Amino acid sequence: MATRDPVMTHWSRVLLLFLVSVPLTSSSPSSWATMHNNNWAVLVCTSRFWFNYRHMANTLSLYRTVKRLGIPDERIILMLADDMACNARNNYPAQVFNNENHQLNLYGDNVEVDYRGYEVTVENFLRVLTGRHDPAVPRSKRLLSDEGSHILLYMTGHGGDEFLKFQDSEELQSHDLADAVRQMKEKSRFKELLIMVDTCQAATLFSQLQSPGVLAIGSSMKSENSYSHHLDSDIGVSVVDRFTFYTLAFFEKLNMYSNASLRSLFNSYNPSLLMSTAYYRMDLYQRPLSEVPVTSFFGSVMKTVHTDAAYTGVSMPSEMEGSLFIEDGEHHRIMLENEPNQENLGNEEAKEVHCPYHAWLKTLEGRLDDTVADILLQYGFATMILLLAISSWLSS
Amino acid sequence: MAAEAGDGKPQPGRRPRSRLIVRLGALLVAHSVLVSVVCCIAGSIAFLLLPVLAKNTYVSENALMPGSANPMFSSQDVVEANRFLKEILDRGSAKVTGTEIAKLIGQHVVDVGAELYYHKFHPHGNQFHPLHFFSSITNTMEMQYNSSCTLFGLNSVGIIRAPRGDGKEAIVLVTPYNSQNIGQSEALSLGLAFSIFSLLSRVTWLAKDIVWLAADSRYGEYTAVDSWLKDYHNPLFLSNSGKIGTGVCFEENILHLLDQLKVKGPRYNIFKRAGTMAAALVFKVIEKKEKEERDSLTIYAEASNGQMPNLDLINIVHYLAVHRQGLRVKIGSMHSLLKAAWLKFVGEMLQLFGKLTKHLNPKWKFDITSAEYVEGTATLASSIYYQALGIPTGSHGAFRDYQVDAITLELSPRFSLNNENNRSAFLLRGGRLIEGVIRSVNNLLEKFHQSFFLYFLTAPHKFVSVGVYMIPFALLLAPLPIVSAALFSGNDNLGVSTEKVNQEPGCIGSSDTELRSGSWKWLQAAKVVFMIHLWAIIVSLLPYMLSQFPFMTPITLLLVWAALSICILLICYLIFGACSTHCGWELLKSVMIAAASTGLSLMSVINFSTAQIGAMLIVPMCLLVQPLRKQMQAGVCRKAVLVICNLTLAVVGFPPVALLIAKGACEGFGEAGAGSFWELAQLLWSWNSATYLYLLWIHLPCWVLCLHIFLYPCIGRSSEA
Repeated sequence: MATRDPVMTHWSRVLLLFLVSVPLTSSSPSSWATMHNNNWAVLVCTSRFWFNYRHMANTLSLYRTVKRLGIPDERIILMLADDMACNARNNYPAQVFNNENHQLNLYGDNVEVDYRGYEVTVENFLRVLTGRHDPAVPRSKRLLSDEGSHILLYMTGHGGDEFLKFQDSEELQSHDLADAVRQMKEKSRFKELLIMVDTCQAATLFSQLQSPGVLAIGSSMKSENSYSHHLDSDIGVSVVDRFTFYTLAFFEKLNMYSNASLRSLFNSYNPSLLMSTAYYRMDLYQRPLSEVPVTSFFGSVMKTVHTDAAYTGVSMPSEMEGSLFIEDGEHHRIMLENEPNQENLGNEEAKEVHCPYHAWLKTLEGRLDDTVADILLQYGFATMILLLAISSWLSS
Repeated sequence: MAAEAGDGKPQPGRRPRSRLIVRLGALLVAHSVLVSVVCCIAGSIAFLLLPVLAKNTYVSENALMPGSANPMFSSQDVVEANRFLKEILDRGSAKVTGTEIAKLIGQHVVDVGAELYYHKFHPHGNQFHPLHFFSSITNTMEMQYNSSCTLFGLNSVGIIRAPRGDGKEAIVLVTPYNSQNIGQSEALSLGLAFSIFSLLSRVTWLAKDIVWLAADSRYGEYTAVDSWLKDYHNPLFLSNSGKIGTGVCFEENILHLLDQLKVKGPRYNIFKRAGTMAAALVFKVIEKKEKEERDSLTIYAEASNGQMPNLDLINIVHYLAVHRQGLRVKIGSMHSLLKAAWLKFVGEMLQLFGKLTKHLNPKWKFDITSAEYVEGTATLASSIYYQALGIPTGSHGAFRDYQVDAITLELSPRFSLNNENNRSAFLLRGGRLIEGVIRSVNNLLEKFHQSFFLYFLTAPHKFVSVGVYMIPFALLLAPLPIVSAALFSGNDNLGVSTEKVNQEPGCIGSSDTELRSGSWKWLQAAKVVFMIHLWAIIVSLLPYMLSQFPFMTPITLLLVWAALSICILLICYLIFGACSTHCGWELLKSVMIAAASTGLSLMSVINFSTAQIGAMLIVPMCLLVQPLRKQMQAGVCRKAVLVICNLTLAVVGFPPVALLIAKGACEGFGEAGAGSFWELAQLLWSWNSATYLYLLWIHLPCWVLCLHIFLYPCIGRSSEA
């Protein structure tokens, strides 16, 4: 009990924070088996050559955005197939821009490229996803996600019907991607996975996916092209793709604490501006998109949880999970009561909103530390059964 | 033997079932006349339709991205160009020696911060080298022995190393100028080149080195560029013993040059290199007499033996010139065709036909106006003619020999260049165009490979690709083997039948000889054909001996050449004359056609345009030729038509006549004389053009054989039987 207690307190805190950021629903309690406790991002630019400058700029822009929204560098795997910054044709040596106004250098000081140049291959990409690495591969180049991870997988390059070209020499097929995702699911490497692809005929890349918890969004439907947004006549190349450009435009308005939902992101794509139809594959994803904030993939507002075994993930003892469920049931109500209060406060004062919850946390921790915990557990268990019975009765 | 030969040929009646392809072949051979008429007509129609089938050009290589960057060439650079122009003209008026301008260029190149060196070369005359066809790299050593030390040209070369490039590739700019008598337009092109060069030395986007060759064209611009390229690609090492012989002369001149060229900079007489060449642009400013509404740009692309640069290079130049700088782009066109009434008629017919098809199916796109068609045909004809001639249309041809894509750009202003404002506007346009092309080529990752190498242009933005233009040629060539087979099998059938007739009387000896001559008779014909070809090869080598006598006029040389050829032919006839008449004319014609079709197919691989034009002359000639005596047996009307056709074709098909007609149609009949064929032939062999070989090895023997058949003494067995 003594060793378990700190873990429990952690979990309760995580849970609470999660409750703050995600309005709870009682519709699908089964998907809450493991808590969302960390965020990862895999950002891949698959094409090389100077005229594909925009793909590197796309990826670096996304990199910058997810970093800004809170995913730390060690949880971002950045794969860039070519080095445009140091290309001899680059008018601005060692700089990469995604806009012709040249306001923002994407290739500044804090860019950590994990796989670069010819390291970006289909093989390495699949190894990163599935975690089957050579023992010599350093931890910084591995996707050390677990069953509580939300992973953002962003890919851009040149694609076609059910494939994405890597390095002008090989292809990633939709089967390969689906297979890798399935392996990840079976190895409990993610809780939810958002695949975002900006390439021609991006939708076809998702056709083989079948693992639950996967959400996919592509820039174009089958037999549609994805276009670049604008040309930088100073550098002499197109610097950003349309889909990515409007994605970035959406995120530029947000900060780490905003509550914008995935639905609002998806609705922001205007086919006439994209010159292609953005495609969403949602049938594998259980939660309603209007209630999932974009920050659950593009940001990381959660407190990070230290796990000893990176590979096995957090394997919780069964009674532990039981206790979590109780808390779930218990604080659900509390949360619901508090919700209007939070909405009144609005986004900008989000930081201040946290203060009362800290107080809640304190009291909760205090209670959990007491011997009352056991009684609490029993009561909670009973309520949960009751709730379950009622809900099943209602649904039938 | 006869049985075997009989088995080989198709006999549909006797054989129960042979393979389908054999039967099809037999069918074609049996209807050879119909097939050849249909094929020839279809081929001619397809050839006339080529301008209709032309497609719009498009930039095929993604990496090029022409016009995606704003030009950096500004009015500041124009000022620089003008200043340089003024300096050249000041020096040029002094006219001290040929090295004044080279010194000036060198000084400026060094000031800009680029590397400089001078390349000294010796001009070489037009020699006939029988072994140099198809080998572009001639021996430099031999060249230098031949030329005297006092004759030399001096190229000035500046190199900008790409600041962040890998130094493995280069783009070459060439501006030819006459160092002894420089005009304003040449000075202007030097000024333009220098201003671009100085701009490029400042930019940060270079990935390939830039080489500026100011070619001394006092002995011809091709010679200057060619000798520079030779030295660029064939480095001479100090240990090379062959160099020593010329070294003395070289050193002597260098010492002399040292005094004249005092340029601050290290080692400016050492040949420097800069990677493989991605592309080369030869550009010059030409002031034209006739005034137009816009500044214009003329593109010359044909290199030796009909080789063309990659179409993408022309595409980017055309795109930038038309869509960015608003220039009028022109390519060569055959002016005599522009006013031809028959062509206008064909164009109008096609226009009508196009309208008709549009009524039937709006999706069919046969849209072409009559004027468009005439213009397209004239341009296509000139494109084919210059490719067929096999002589480069400018100094860009020297690059093609090293597999470097190159074109010549001729910029001509709208107004007089004396007006300062007009000149500046013109320079700005030209500078931006060339900068744009360089930036586009600079984006290239590999050699030009994406677009076409085998094409004809029907307009600066329209082309006919190899897949389309092969069709008329294939249609023209198709009847040849069929007719040859038909003649052979017809003759063989006769032979077999006569043999059978002869066998019945039971004379074994006579049937034996008959048998031998019946199956192997074609060897006799082959011998004649072979002999004529041998004669043609000797004739083609005669000029090598004749050119050893330097002090003869072209007319005398031509006459001597003709006389010698005829003499040799007569001697051949005297020696082999007896056996040549032995075989029937059908067999002779059959073997001749086989030889001609082989020759044409071979030539189509080497220089397609030559083969195409040749096929249009040879094929009807070969198909129609018949002995005069046989023609006399036909009806009056048919006789007249046949004789006239044969005679016309015999006149037009005579190689010198054909060549002169082609030249006259394209360049005007101005100075066409008896000696002009010698000059033309000299031009062809001095440029190592395969057309010379074609004319004398394939066309001439075919013509002689046709004449031989036409004047055949006995009508042959076929008429006897």
